Amino acid sequence: MKGLSRVADRSPRVYYSSIGALFALLLALVVVAWPTRVVAQVELTWSPSMVKGPPGAPVTIVEFSDYQ
Amino acid sequence: MEEYDGRIRLVFKDRPLAMHTLARPAHEAARCAGAAGKYWAYHDKLFAAQPRFRRGDLLAYASEIGLDADAFARCLDERRFKADVERDVEEAQALGINSTPTFLINGQRVIGATSLEEFRAVIDKALQERR
Repeated sequence: MKGLSRVADRSPRVYYSSIGALFALLLALVVVAWPTRVVAQVELTWSPSMVKGPPGAPVTIVEFSDYQ
Repeated sequence: MEEYDGRIRLVFKDRPLAMHTLARPAHEAARCAGAAGKYWAYHDKLFAAQPRFRRGDLLAYASEIGLDADAFARCLDERRFKADVERDVEEAQALGINSTPTFLINGQRVIGATSLEEFRAVIDKALQERR
């Protein structure tokens, strides 16, 4: 009970600043994670013998497949 | 491919799944056939014959399409294209591709053996966007 009364006595400003800190942390995480998601790209390589169709074709279909 | 004459380029990438224990040698064998100029003939053989991919089977398919048996066996036994298959697997994993077949049609992902109509719709949309 002693502990509870101490929490109840705390100034509302303490709660606001805690929420603010949490929000800032979440925002920082989003900012850090966002460019990684957008920039992450994989440069595909392929063997010429495994390609059909003209190099200048407007549509390229890359098929990842398993023979078994 | 014939329907979209000259407007489509198809690239085949190896994505042998770990649970398919005979797949990796088959993918390496196909690349050996490719080095001898017969990738697609061997590719078609493999899909028709799956899952019979023991060493003897792979050698037999090579002979059936007229490949030099000794040269093909050497290529297969030396695992000459092991690293190339592995590179394809790593690229697939980097893209989060864990099931097959998975297609990227001008970058748009189509997962699984989808209907011809759906496939055609994605291709037609990609063609329109390129006009």
